[in-house]
Amino acid sequence: MNPANGNGGGDWWRNWRIWLMIWVAGTVGLVAFLLWDARAWLQDSPQATFRATKLNLWPLEILWWLFVPAILLVHRSLARADRHWLWAVALHGLLALIITALFIVAQAFRLVLLNHLPATFLPVVVNDLRWMRGWSYLPALVYLALVLAIYTVSFYRQWRDGQRLTSQLQVANAQLETKLVRASLDALKMQLHPHFLFNTLNSITSLIRNNRTREAEDIVAGLGELLRRSLDHKQEAMDTLERELDFLRRYFEIERIRFQDRLKVEFDIDPKCLRAQVPSLLLQPLAENAMKHGISKDPAARLLRVSAQRDGTRLLLTVYNDGPALPRDDAALGRGIGMQNTHARLLMLYGDEARLRLRDNTPQGVRAEIILPFRTSSSP
Amino acid sequence: MTTTPRDHWWMSLALLVLGGGLALVFFGPRESLPEVRRAVADEDVLRIVYTQTLRPDPHVRLLPLSTYNQFILSLWEPLVECDPLTGEPQPAAAASWTWSEDHRLLTLRLRPDGRWSNGDPVTAQDFVRAWQRLLRARVDLAFTLFPVKNAEAYHRGQREQPEAVGLRALDDLTLQVELDQPRTSLLAELSDPLLAPLHHSTEQVLADRSFYEQPSALVTNGPFRLREANADGYRLEASPVYHGRAGVRLAGVQFIRAANSSMGALLVSAGRADLMPSVNLSAGRVWPTRRAMTVESELELGVVGNYFNVTRGPLRDLRVRRALALALSREELIEESDRTRLVPAWSWVPDMPGRPGLALFKEDAAEARRLLAEAGYPAGKGFPVLRMALPLWMEGNPYPTACGERWFKELGIRTYVAYESPARRSERINAGDYDVIYGGLIATVPDPADLLSSFTMPAEYSETKWRDDETIRLMAAANQKTGGERLALVEQVERRAMADVPVVPLMFERRHTLRAAEVKGWYGDPLARQSPKRLWLEAPAVAPRAESHPRT
Repeated sequence: MNPANGNGGGDWWRNWRIWLMIWVAGTVGLVAFLLWDARAWLQDSPQATFRATKLNLWPLEILWWLFVPAILLVHRSLARADRHWLWAVALHGLLALIITALFIVAQAFRLVLLNHLPATFLPVVVNDLRWMRGWSYLPALVYLALVLAIYTVSFYRQWRDGQRLTSQLQVANAQLETKLVRASLDALKMQLHPHFLFNTLNSITSLIRNNRTREAEDIVAGLGELLRRSLDHKQEAMDTLERELDFLRRYFEIERIRFQDRLKVEFDIDPKCLRAQVPSLLLQPLAENAMKHGISKDPAARLLRVSAQRDGTRLLLTVYNDGPALPRDDAALGRGIGMQNTHARLLMLYGDEARLRLRDNTPQGVRAEIILPFRTSSSP
Repeated sequence: MTTTPRDHWWMSLALLVLGGGLALVFFGPRESLPEVRRAVADEDVLRIVYTQTLRPDPHVRLLPLSTYNQFILSLWEPLVECDPLTGEPQPAAAASWTWSEDHRLLTLRLRPDGRWSNGDPVTAQDFVRAWQRLLRARVDLAFTLFPVKNAEAYHRGQREQPEAVGLRALDDLTLQVELDQPRTSLLAELSDPLLAPLHHSTEQVLADRSFYEQPSALVTNGPFRLREANADGYRLEASPVYHGRAGVRLAGVQFIRAANSSMGALLVSAGRADLMPSVNLSAGRVWPTRRAMTVESELELGVVGNYFNVTRGPLRDLRVRRALALALSREELIEESDRTRLVPAWSWVPDMPGRPGLALFKEDAAEARRLLAEAGYPAGKGFPVLRMALPLWMEGNPYPTACGERWFKELGIRTYVAYESPARRSERINAGDYDVIYGGLIATVPDPADLLSSFTMPAEYSETKWRDDETIRLMAAANQKTGGERLALVEQVERRAMADVPVVPLMFERRHTLRAAEVKGWYGDPLARQSPKRLWLEAPAVAPRAESHPRT
């Protein structure tokens, strides 16, 4: 096997050289056998006759053994030459005619030998065959059927290779996209974690400075739990809303220690939404924003409400705080790192199907809204 | 980078050479080709072409009959020969004969100088042996001997003792034949090559085919003996012990096998053969050489027609049978390509030397419709489908189906043509489960009674199942007479049988023989028994232009 030809051990049958060798061996064997069988007649033995030889007895259709490689060769040359189809039709018509004529001449030649006629009678016998039963045009039909079959196989192979290539490209494209998204998500998550850690560590520092060591210990324990879960889900781009809320509760437990009795967290979750798939760590940045820009900015503010509702094919997630209204500067309007990350992730995962909105709530407070396609893990 | 594919110059060249070569073959010269010169070894050897299987066995009669006759009559000599002009029996292996007064006992005296090719004398027992073999063989040909006492019963297994058959070798040179009924035509019937004698060694030689390796093992009593045998044919040489060797002018006869009739004709034209019996020629054929040849034509003593099973359904009604006969059109039936070979038959016996054929049938489709309506089947309504039983080998013969189509077109009668294996067909015929049989009959003696004898057979053995006591009586009377008196009685038999339409004669066949001009001594014989011993070769002076193309 020649690896350079791209022929592994399993697809040797694609190697035309092997077929050529088989054909040559078969032809040599066939001719040798026919000559051996007819040796007595060829040597003019008194009892030997052409009539009894395989040259006479075997059907003329054996000639196809010789013709088929020639037909394949012509087809290959035509395919390479990429001629106009009319040219191919004309050539195949001519070849059909030639092959039919060859069969007629072979039959006539056999009759000449069989009947001990002089070789000069070959044109006479050829003509005689037409008068007797009419020339047989079956070889032309067989030839055309053969060419049709070759073209069909050829077109099928081209189509199949095209399909395979398209499919491979699609898979490669999809894999590339997935890798890109995962890389982006990982990068975004890596941005989230330091941000949260920085705030929490500040809180712990503050508690220790105020000798609230017991609470600091609780925060450290809670933070440890959060980090563990965060690392557990590091490779997952999506998670269920239930797990996301669970993560959020852990987060609020830390924040409740920071804000003591001042923080009141409410969850208004439609149970049907718990199985919904959402981007992991989606709500935490919003909750953090609510704490940072709402609860912590107004001593009177204390309520943070997380709600989830299904609206047909959509999932509506809301994070509300009763803190001060949104400031009029750009950063507060959602250009902060948490909001930007969340927006980017939604765009990457859902395109136009998802929406993130931050707005003042009438009569009081601020609400962050996320609208996503409602999907579960079993959704297509 | 782009590349321009190159045309393979060698492929174009190969196509050009191939096309040129084929054009040479297809449009090469087909006239005025040089003929092959006769080899020195073939001087005075008559070369006859045959196309079907030929076996050196008198009891394997294969068509065409002329080739079989010439082959068997070259190797064997029967008791008598018939004069082709008068039909009168002439001495051959028998030197003389006598009839008993009641014409039931024929005693033949063999010639004392009759010899087998190995020198053994030909005896009466050799004939008895051969004829018993024929009867034992249980082939259809055995009927030739049925007039002999108990021959049919022995053939059909009803008598087991061969001694019961009326064949006796009274001594080495005297053969006695006893008949069931008087039959004056029997003597002529003995000229059939089928009834040649067999040497005691022959049966074994034929069985093991040892004649291929040792041709002299086939011992024969004819003017020629076997010299070579192979798949391409047989070569015979003049027998040095034949009693009439002085009159045999040929040194030998070669039977050459050809693939078909057309190739056979080409062999004659090429100069490789001299005679092609039963050649099928198309009109206006152009020959490839200028060899002088003639087409000899003669009407065969045979007939082709439809046999009605008169015991079946509507065919029991004479009006129906007559309607079916009247509805046919022989001119329309005979295909253009067969016009030189087939001629319409208006009765069961064709023209014979000294006896022109009768015109007992006519064609009238309107009368046919009237008769069918009168029989209760107007426009074929209520008429059952006719079952036509044919052997498988007849598939492709256009005439049976053409008859069916004509009956449907003119009378509205449908025909089912069933092609069956010989065994199945034989069962069907024995059971009488058929309506029509398309078939033919060939005479073995130059006697109209031979063709008409099928109407006097026992009904159970006849295809028509037809029986008429008066016809049988007339034939029995004819068999006791000779000459004109006999012919008159036979004519009555023919008229009576045809009037009741158990058969519809359709066609007689004309036999053509392609003969090279150097073959001399050719004579017409309605039984196609031109024996090569009567022929000779004579190199033509200069081929006359008028004779260079045969008359067809």
